[in-house]
Amino acid sequence: MPPAVLELKGLSKRFGGLLAVSNLDFEVREGEILGVIGPNGAGKSTTFNIIAGVYGADAGSVTFGGKPIAGLAPHQIAALGILRTFQHNRPFSGMTVADNVMVGAHTRFRSGLFSVLLGNSSDEEAQRRQQADELVAFVGLSELRDADVTTLSFGQGRLLEIARALAGEPKLILLDEPAAGLTPAELERLGGIIRGIAARGIAVLLIEHDMHFLLPLAHRVVVLNFGAKIADGLPEEIRTNPAVMDAYLGGSLAPA
Amino acid sequence: MKGALRWLAAFALLAGLPFLMGGYYNDVYRKMLLWVALALSYNFLFGICGQVAFSHFAFYGVGAYSIVIFLFQFHIPFPLAVLLGVALCVLVALAVAIPSTRLEGFYLALATLALAQLFVVVLNEGGAVTGGPGGLANYRLPDVLGMRIAGPWYTAVIVFVLLFTLFVLLKLDRSWFGRACRAVRDNPEAAAAMGVNVARTKVIAFTLTSALAGIAGMVYAFVDNTVNPPIFGLDNAFLILFMVIVGGSGRHAGAAVGAALLFLLPFFLSPLVGHHHVLLFGVLVLAAILAAPKGLIGFYDASRRP
Repeated sequence: MPPAVLELKGLSKRFGGLLAVSNLDFEVREGEILGVIGPNGAGKSTTFNIIAGVYGADAGSVTFGGKPIAGLAPHQIAALGILRTFQHNRPFSGMTVADNVMVGAHTRFRSGLFSVLLGNSSDEEAQRRQQADELVAFVGLSELRDADVTTLSFGQGRLLEIARALAGEPKLILLDEPAAGLTPAELERLGGIIRGIAARGIAVLLIEHDMHFLLPLAHRVVVLNFGAKIADGLPEEIRTNPAVMDAYLGGSLAPA
Repeated sequence: MKGALRWLAAFALLAGLPFLMGGYYNDVYRKMLLWVALALSYNFLFGICGQVAFSHFAFYGVGAYSIVIFLFQFHIPFPLAVLLGVALCVLVALAVAIPSTRLEGFYLALATLALAQLFVVVLNEGGAVTGGPGGLANYRLPDVLGMRIAGPWYTAVIVFVLLFTLFVLLKLDRSWFGRACRAVRDNPEAAAAMGVNVARTKVIAFTLTSALAGIAGMVYAFVDNTVNPPIFGLDNAFLILFMVIVGGSGRHAGAAVGAALLFLLPFFLSPLVGHHHVLLFGVLVLAAILAAPKGLIGFYDASRRP
């Protein structure tokens, strides 16, 4: 079994009187697609935001590559190699598609401000630009490489989010409901891209609502309800788990 | 190599022109170039990094006053006086930026407005050091290697500072730093998620552009050979903002065009409307915000689109 990249142990987070995440344990392994599902308010987004450094945890630990990362700021977490996408696309609206992806590579630049001013950074710039072009091609947006991001469709914007996160050379990529709002054709393409990311050895943590999209894609699934984990297993096991059906699925798990 | 030749050609052209002008036009021309330099650096801060600051013209004043005070009040040698002037701008910029960028953007606007006001108060109350309300005058640029630099030759110095400013800004803009600044402007949360240290990026952009304003101010000090408080009041602080908005915020060419236009406009308007040209500026800015948010450069872009 490949080594764990990310480990959560006893993670809890309280908002006032609401226990949003309760004593949560799970890990994500290298090259694995881990799906996290649960009804609205189950604590998926809170967990996601704790890993990304947006929220601090009240208890428990988050370990990445063997080191504790709880309490680090979002930009420090990105620098370690955890890159995320947003559920509602958040492009940098004044820039081209390629430049948006270049921002994703921000932490990978080695030249400091002085070498930028002295003109010594052009090789690195060219190399990163080529890499950005490759990622734009990987998500299938090559024709829009130099387009203003405001001209992109919603689905294209979602793919850009993924290319931008990949530019940061993540060891772990966090995808926040990437299927939301996509057409069936776009969903199929997205599934292929996510499999391609995992095939590169990158761990994928996927928060998802759309079961029909997630179950065929994920290697393993964690189910949350009221902030706690109620199941953790292979997609086939989740499909037939009675607790999961009760909590969330209402028996609609059979493939459509 | 090709790049270096282009910069050299731009310098030769811009520095050569004033030799064909009379003294009056040379004076108008070089003041215009200084406004362009200021608008370019302000555009990086406001248009590219998205920071609303009103201190840019005050830093121009810090540069102008500090070089005069260091040279003629404290008799510090010229190169050291220049370095100290830049260092002073950097220190003041850090002192303003570090606390205020930790807060939301509105607080930077307030803090820089306060700084701009405080600066004028300090100038007025500075006694013999700043010359008080009358400012400092009756000095002149020390000879460099025994040569007196004046007239169109001094304009060449201004052209050099302008091109230096543009060079620095273009290098920054076309690097990871420029993209980080734009990302911070467009979506700070997403920028942070991509690893951009938002507060640090803002502080660096503020400090660098303020230092560039200070350098332009040092050169300005020897244009009229006088510095006094009314020059560095809030009127001009807002004028830079107007220049960038009218020309096209976030675009180098836009800032340059806006600066040249709003600087030259009063020369044509004053005979017609007297001092009411300020009113027309207000109308222009409103028109730009409401009808052409991309500024004059937006019209140029639209005309090039097929």
